[in-house]
Amino acid sequence: MKIFKSLTKSLFFLSILISFGFSTKAQSADEGKTLFNANCTACHAINDKIVGPALKDVHKRREESWLIKWVKNSQAMVKSGDATAVQLYKENNESVMTSFESLTDVQIKSIIAYVKAESEAPAAQAATATVAGSNTNETANTSNDYKTEINWLLVIISILLIAIISRIFGILNKIGEIQGKPVINWTQTNGLLVMAFLIIGLIATFWEFYVHGKLTVFAMGSASAHGDEYDNMFMITLGLTGVVFVITQILLFWYAYKYKNDGKRKAMYFPDNHKLEFIWTIVPAVVLTVLVIRGLMTWNNIMYSKEENAREVEIFGYQFAWDARLAGADNKLGAHNFREIGKVNALGVDTTDEKAKDDVVVKELHLEVGKPVNFHFRSKDVIHSAYFPHFRAQMNVVPGLPTKFSFTPTVTTADMRNKLGKPEFDYVLLCNKICGSAHYRMKMVVVVDTKEAYEKWLASQKTITNQPVNNSIASK
Amino acid sequence: MSDHNMNNHHEDHGHHKETFISKYIFSMDHKMISRQFLITGIIMGTLGMLMSMIFRLQLAYPDMKFSFLEGILGHWGKDGKLDPNFYLALITIHGTIMVFFVLTAGLSGTFSNLLIPLQVGARDMASPFMNMLSYWFFFLSSAVLVFSLFVDGGPASAGWTVYPPLSALPKAIPGSGTGMTLWLVSMILFIASSLLGGINYIATILNMRTKGMKMTRLPLTIWAFLVTAVLGLLSFPVLLGGSLLLVFDRSFGTSFYLSEIVAEFAGGIERTGGSPILFQHLFWFLGHPEVYIILLPALGITSEVIATNSRKPIFGYRAMIGSILAIGVLSFIVWGHHMFLTGMNPFLGSVFMLGTLIIAVPSAVKTFNYLATLWQGNLQLTPAMMFAIGLVSLFISGGLTGIYLGNAALDINLHDTYFVVAHFHLVMGSAAIFGMMSGIYHWFPRMFGRMMNETAGQIHFWLTLISAYCVFFPMHFMGLAGVPRRYYANTAYDQFNVFIDMNQFITIAALLGGLAQVIFLVNFFYSALKGRKAPQNPWKSNTLEWTAPVEHLHGNWPGEIPHVYRWAYDYSKPGHNEDFIPQNVPDKGQIDPLDESNGLPEPVNTENSANH
Repeated sequence: MKIFKSLTKSLFFLSILISFGFSTKAQSADEGKTLFNANCTACHAINDKIVGPALKDVHKRREESWLIKWVKNSQAMVKSGDATAVQLYKENNESVMTSFESLTDVQIKSIIAYVKAESEAPAAQAATATVAGSNTNETANTSNDYKTEINWLLVIISILLIAIISRIFGILNKIGEIQGKPVINWTQTNGLLVMAFLIIGLIATFWEFYVHGKLTVFAMGSASAHGDEYDNMFMITLGLTGVVFVITQILLFWYAYKYKNDGKRKAMYFPDNHKLEFIWTIVPAVVLTVLVIRGLMTWNNIMYSKEENAREVEIFGYQFAWDARLAGADNKLGAHNFREIGKVNALGVDTTDEKAKDDVVVKELHLEVGKPVNFHFRSKDVIHSAYFPHFRAQMNVVPGLPTKFSFTPTVTTADMRNKLGKPEFDYVLLCNKICGSAHYRMKMVVVVDTKEAYEKWLASQKTITNQPVNNSIASK
Repeated sequence: MSDHNMNNHHEDHGHHKETFISKYIFSMDHKMISRQFLITGIIMGTLGMLMSMIFRLQLAYPDMKFSFLEGILGHWGKDGKLDPNFYLALITIHGTIMVFFVLTAGLSGTFSNLLIPLQVGARDMASPFMNMLSYWFFFLSSAVLVFSLFVDGGPASAGWTVYPPLSALPKAIPGSGTGMTLWLVSMILFIASSLLGGINYIATILNMRTKGMKMTRLPLTIWAFLVTAVLGLLSFPVLLGGSLLLVFDRSFGTSFYLSEIVAEFAGGIERTGGSPILFQHLFWFLGHPEVYIILLPALGITSEVIATNSRKPIFGYRAMIGSILAIGVLSFIVWGHHMFLTGMNPFLGSVFMLGTLIIAVPSAVKTFNYLATLWQGNLQLTPAMMFAIGLVSLFISGGLTGIYLGNAALDINLHDTYFVVAHFHLVMGSAAIFGMMSGIYHWFPRMFGRMMNETAGQIHFWLTLISAYCVFFPMHFMGLAGVPRRYYANTAYDQFNVFIDMNQFITIAALLGGLAQVIFLVNFFYSALKGRKAPQNPWKSNTLEWTAPVEHLHGNWPGEIPHVYRWAYDYSKPGHNEDFIPQNVPDKGQIDPLDESNGLPEPVNTENSANH
């Protein structure tokens, strides 16, 4: 009995251990997913090569310890002459992978667990997908290949066309030589063509405004307090330049049509007229004065805006992602030092600083609607540009030069989604200064919340001192 | 330039001291140097255009595999997919080639060399030897840049503006290794070429004008070339300095442009104390005048072509000179409008914004003067004239969007988006290319002694105009939707991916434009070798170059250099039978060329000069 009892006891413990083990494993893949999306997706996907290679089955290709070393500092491995590392570096055209020294071994393991899970899982999904949509798969295949019959036909037709046109050229030239004058009267033809170009061009311009104008951020309306003033300035400029554009283009092409040589015309000797010249110097000058004054007012209002109760947020840019640091309850950002980047934490924030204790670092930026925000920008490596198109906000992120920009979001994400009728819509912060190979994927989702939702979200975030850090490095 | 030519040359002109090498290769004759600049420019332009085709394919069909890419690009196009790093390399080299090698050297180098001595009435440049060096530095610079396409890591990929730290740290992007070093070497050679040329142009224009060629009688082309040369002389050395500092940062461990960087690709050392913004200031101190170095010669050519083919004096000659000078001066105090959002003091932004928008005034004056020149004219719609009209149209379209971008406030949301791409490709790229084309069609008879095929020229014009607008006009809307430039694909953003149809349309239009240039290339080379022989003065133009013999001649005029008695624009002067009076025809009773011409020439004199 005693044995039985101890057996059940140990079984009980075992089952707890196993279930715990399972749950940690599941939890680790979950954590891995979050980490993967935050750190890896700029350059990697599971099944496709993006900037870096596809990660499917990477756990089978490489040792776990090798992967951990690689993720932390791939360049060191290449330098140390590790054969696989050197080959991988060469294969990927010597693109340097970002070092993630602040990720702990456990975190990297969880990412690997996630990749492993993803590599194995989709097999079932893919099977069902092919059954359900073999048709779509086929069309997808053909659309990915440019060598279709139609394209070959196009090539043949264009070659034939070129041959025919050049033949016609030759014949026309011969006829022209025999007749002693060119066959096509280009002055007449051009007269017709300029008018056709003018009319079709103007119609196309208006069509463009009508069709593609809807896709611009101006059609969407601004989502920030200063955005309305910005849009106003834009519309004034659009109106004035639009009028000038239409008038001058009409005059240009109409003159080309009207005054073309017809064999009888005699040009008017009209070398200058001071009155006319005076008018068309003064009128643009006055119009531009209006635009300059209005522009300066807008510029100064935006750049020198000072809001008393603004929240302080730091945007930290690096190849190829953004981190946002919120100031926490004290609304003061803790000190940072670039030499500490990647050591104690990824941002080089001094965790002993009192102000830093409640700072929160996030990968998805939440803002509270109607609450002004002062953004402070900092770069780890090269110049980036933090661009929030929907908020009419942008500022370069320059290593060694603190830059700032302030705005007040006025429309919540939910409201904007309703307004646009697009449930997937998200505000974004994107990189707008060439910064390397994955520049085009360097983005952060920005969510504008109501006050309650914002506070709830903020409360759920860990402060920087509570976030897991690589203690082995920190202790050094 | 084949062996065949060389033999002919030896048989025909064996008594000259000229050899094949001294005539065709190390030539010191400005007309030959101008042809060398043009042909090198055309080759580089073709290369730049082909690059744009490749990256346009990528933008239009981001998911498609083009197996031929692997054939052309090797490991950069593995499995028919363009590598993102090489995409950036392509846009960088496309920009560098187009801005510097085609539109600076190819445009200004060609026409300054051809027209300055011929239009001011000089036997050659002030220093033919320096002129030769100018071409050969340019050639070397082109060769180095083309070579950089083949090095490990690929050519420079930090954008044509090569902002450090991306360009300064070799590991920041593969192209910032050897490729970037070669880019800098190429640029330094290019600057040497540009300075040697510029000094020469200025000296020739100021000192070697023929008797009677007052500054106020110069054709507007020469005024444009003069101001262009001055701009180049004052701004290129700044880029030279900036580039050398970048060389130091890259190769000798200095930190002029590097600050607070401890990245693995910084070489493991702390790089502190510098400022990345310093480079931008130095770069744009050249970069903005550079825009006018490109544009002014094109506008000068247009002035000449429009006046000649409208059979009318250019309207407001002095206002035109004034606006060229005003643009030249203002171009030096507006460079900061490229940097509104770098973290520069907003007050400085205000100052640069003011200067930038003031430039719109002389630009508007030029546009209205062109329109007034066309008004009541007798337009000869030759290919050259059509390209000149096209330039004015593009200059208006692209110039007006400059009013948005020059406004610091509006720049906040438009900076570095496709709106900028559309703006400068219209006003600086296409417009200047149109000016260059206009010049080629107009002065081809002077350069090669033969005529180009007109029909092919007209077709070339229409296809190019349509394609230019179809490519660049829709891009404004992408910019207004916030699509950033220099993105390998828009697939990461749903809001930008909706432009995939537009991108396909643009790519097809660009391919059409490329096809149109094939027509031009065939026409150009065929006509240069086998075209119809050119008459003495095919466009009935007033300027001096048309009084020189069709057959090129060292020293330009067989006898005495003609004297100049009037300005270049006496077209359709009332009371005169012909609708043009060349500059070398004196007025009735005018003996001293320096006297102002008020009346009309004696009929007999006209006859004489026509036969001259």
